[in-house]
Amino acid sequence: MLQNEFIAKIEQEFGLDSAHITIVAEKKIAVTVDSGQALAFLSYLKNIDFIQMSLITAVDWIAENHFELVYTLVSWEKNLTVSVSTFIPRSEPRMVSVRHIWPTAKYYEWDINEFFGIVFSGHPEMGKPLFLEGWSEKPPLRKDFDPQAYSYERFPSREYDYEVENKGRVVE
Amino acid sequence: MKEVKLFHGPNHPGMHGNFSVHLTVDGDTVVSARPNPGMLHRGFEKLMERRSWIQNIALIPRICVPEPDINEAVYSMGVEALAGMEIPERAKYIRVIVLEIARIMIHLMSVGGIGGPTGLYTAPNWGIADRDLFLDIFEKLTGHRIYHMYIVPGGVRQDIPADLLKEIEEKLDNLEKRLVEYRELIFDHPIIHKRLKGTAPLPKELALAWGITGIGIRSNGFDYDIRKYDPYLVYDKLSFDVPVCDESDAYSRLMLKFREIPQSMRIIRQAIADMPAGKVRIKLPGNALKWKVPKGAVYSRLESSRGEYGYYMVSDGGLTPYRVHVRGASYPQGLYGVEAGLPGTRLEDVAVWLDTMGVCAPEFDR
Amino acid sequence: MWEKVQDITRGHSLWMLYYCTGCGAIELPPTMTSRFDMERFGIGPMATPRQADILLVTGYLSTKTLRRVIYTYEQMQSPKWLVGFGSCTLNGGIYHDSYATINQLDQYLPVDLYLAGCMPRPEAIIKGFKQLMTMIRTGEADGWKRYRDNREWYRKNQTKALGDLLYTTR
Repeated sequence: MLQNEFIAKIEQEFGLDSAHITIVAEKKIAVTVDSGQALAFLSYLKNIDFIQMSLITAVDWIAENHFELVYTLVSWEKNLTVSVSTFIPRSEPRMVSVRHIWPTAKYYEWDINEFFGIVFSGHPEMGKPLFLEGWSEKPPLRKDFDPQAYSYERFPSREYDYEVENKGRVVE
Repeated sequence: MKEVKLFHGPNHPGMHGNFSVHLTVDGDTVVSARPNPGMLHRGFEKLMERRSWIQNIALIPRICVPEPDINEAVYSMGVEALAGMEIPERAKYIRVIVLEIARIMIHLMSVGGIGGPTGLYTAPNWGIADRDLFLDIFEKLTGHRIYHMYIVPGGVRQDIPADLLKEIEEKLDNLEKRLVEYRELIFDHPIIHKRLKGTAPLPKELALAWGITGIGIRSNGFDYDIRKYDPYLVYDKLSFDVPVCDESDAYSRLMLKFREIPQSMRIIRQAIADMPAGKVRIKLPGNALKWKVPKGAVYSRLESSRGEYGYYMVSDGGLTPYRVHVRGASYPQGLYGVEAGLPGTRLEDVAVWLDTMGVCAPEFDR
Repeated sequence: MWEKVQDITRGHSLWMLYYCTGCGAIELPPTMTSRFDMERFGIGPMATPRQADILLVTGYLSTKTLRRVIYTYEQMQSPKWLVGFGSCTLNGGIYHDSYATINQLDQYLPVDLYLAGCMPRPEAIIKGFKQLMTMIRTGEADGWKRYRDNREWYRKNQTKALGDLLYTTR
């Protein structure tokens, strides 16, 4: 079957074992690689026909002190979806840009830079604003940023005569 | 000639939504363009982390304003995949009916909406009025015209009564007669031919390089549709065609949207005929407000009217989602496409380009 | 005396700036087109702020949009009126704890009429506009006079929300 052939091929080429490869559902595979190997692996996938870059996203694992970058790629001919994860340290978040492989990655990486503070080398627009304007706090999607405190302090809310219980709190 | 800098700004009669493009123009031709998104930014991804799994259903239809049901469907499919739940068959058929009615409604609004950039003001009046008749069905079914909050993890909120199904079939019959008039008004009109044929072309290499899905790639000969390639819900049991054409310009893309409406009507009629009886919702374990979803990460997606719409969801076993990333369907063409594809068009065709490529600002601004 | 006659005539023919700032804008096309026809009351859409009477703020405002709405409001010729549409202009609505949206519109611009709902139906919009027309005829809707007289207070609030970006270009 095409999916097993694909898994056997990448295990052989990149020395990954079954701890790094998970089959999430039919035709969907999740692979974990080291951050040093990530660029080589992604270029290899583009050459074997994974032409669509669906999404680049980042997850802030604050307890384990690292960021996780996830690249989701789709191949139409093989009908497979692969999510490639790699981990980078939270204290110095840097990664190589892939925009020369998939041109639309320019805006996905700019987006992650604005909301998480991860720097992609080889990208011309690091540090410039895209969605936010005049933002001078820490990157907003990090786990140690509290949006409610920021909102109530900067944008005053309407005063009402009665007390509101459980305002803005998830019910425990 | 000198180059002039213009703002095709947020408040423009031909612009759908609050999105602005900074253009540099030489005479009448665009030399360079830069998108300026962020005016509709609400910080959804942060807000979703602060509400429990069930409370998010009230929040997320607002991410994509013209077609809100896809948000609820993708979120529910993702949560059900993480929690390992299997929903009843009748609920799947009802979800398919709701999603296809939403697709018909947004295609009517887009086909009618060509009147904004081109000046044919009869078309939006018809399109929006016909769409309104379907909003009446949603109001009877769910209680709200626009934001339904109907598709929840576990199924759908309540059952659909039999006379409402009959009313849907009657409205589809009426719409079929109206589609002939749309074709005569818009697609056989000589001024629309002159205005739209040859404008805003999208060559095949650019569409593949940008990773566009949906109408942009189907108008170039590829028949990539997630309902056929990676079927979700009950699409593998229903028979329908996916319209494709060879050359991509503004006229052919609009024609493809128009040709998808009869296919959606076919799907709805089959779903109404084949729907089994049974329950429509399974009960969540324990107290729904204190439900904890098991650990894991999943990327769930479906085919919206503009392309592949997906959510990447991560759960760490808590009361709230740990991370949700919304992949808007028009992210490639709204941001990178504007920078790489607009130079070379004429100034009066910028609005036509943005309209027929399917740029919907709230879904990439989030 | 002349003011009263002017108020009556103004109340019958209003041009509305169709600036769709937020998600409430999806209910404006049904109100303006043939099903719920708003034009029979004398209200029609207008493209530019220089020639419009009403600014309709439909829904939430992010800080980027707020800057542009302030410029638009100041470009309109008086007498002008502002209608706050939806619950997000009242108290922040469902996005009250978001870092990007404001919580109360009349701290920054003078609002003459609010329409509550998330979102208001077309019939509610028409009822709201009829009440606005009555308020104009009786002379109650005087937001532009409040803005002119209390400019420092409004300017102080706007600078608190937007920082130093007011009147700078990018």
